[in-house]
Amino acid sequence: MAIPEKTIANPTTRYGAARSSSWRFIVQRATGALNVAFTVFLIWLVVRLASADAISMGDLLANPIVAMVTGLMIISTAIHMQIGMREVIEDYVHDDKLNRLCLLLNTLVAAVIALATLAALAKLVFWG
Amino acid sequence: MVTSFLHRATGMGLYAGTVLLALWFVAAAYGDGPLGVVHWIFASWIGQLVLFLLTWSLFHHLLGGFRHFLWDTGRGFSREARFGLARANLVGGLLLTLIAWAAFVWF
Repeated sequence: MAIPEKTIANPTTRYGAARSSSWRFIVQRATGALNVAFTVFLIWLVVRLASADAISMGDLLANPIVAMVTGLMIISTAIHMQIGMREVIEDYVHDDKLNRLCLLLNTLVAAVIALATLAALAKLVFWG
Repeated sequence: MVTSFLHRATGMGLYAGTVLLALWFVAAAYGDGPLGVVHWIFASWIGQLVLFLLTWSLFHHLLGGFRHFLWDTGRGFSREARFGLARANLVGGLLLTLIAWAAFVWF
């Protein structure tokens, strides 16, 4: 269903899902704040492991704190990028069917990237 | 205008950049053979260029996020404030990128 321009231009009208939109607004800011800390951690991790072999990567990642922070970083990043790309799609993809398809693909891509990284992390942590 | 566009552009760049982190971890999980291929790609001039641009995207987007946190409190909307923030965002992002890469190259 296309939203008429008159409705969009008027800030007192209601359209879209108020509850889930507010939820995404909050989650985007919460994950964004967390990601500031994760950025410092990521820089450290990359500098520490640049050109390291698989054994040394496993050794460092097997540290419980490093493993947990890395896992949380992956999850927080996936959520933040899914919501961010969703906003871009909502703004630029107006065709209803294409919009739904893009939103679905966006969620799938974010989930697949997160799961692949988490699975690889779990392998390195538990099996070296 | 430009910084708003850049916030989105860097965000989408970082979205794509997560594939590189996934690639790195998955390759390491498979062993030194695949990991060597990833190292070779990352160490190539194009790989280094992409990683440099990603580092910049990360810092630019991070500082842009602070701008949004400030705006969420209802402050920083005046003309001077907006232009000042945009400039600080651009300069700060570049500066942090150079510092991170200098640290990476020298230490």
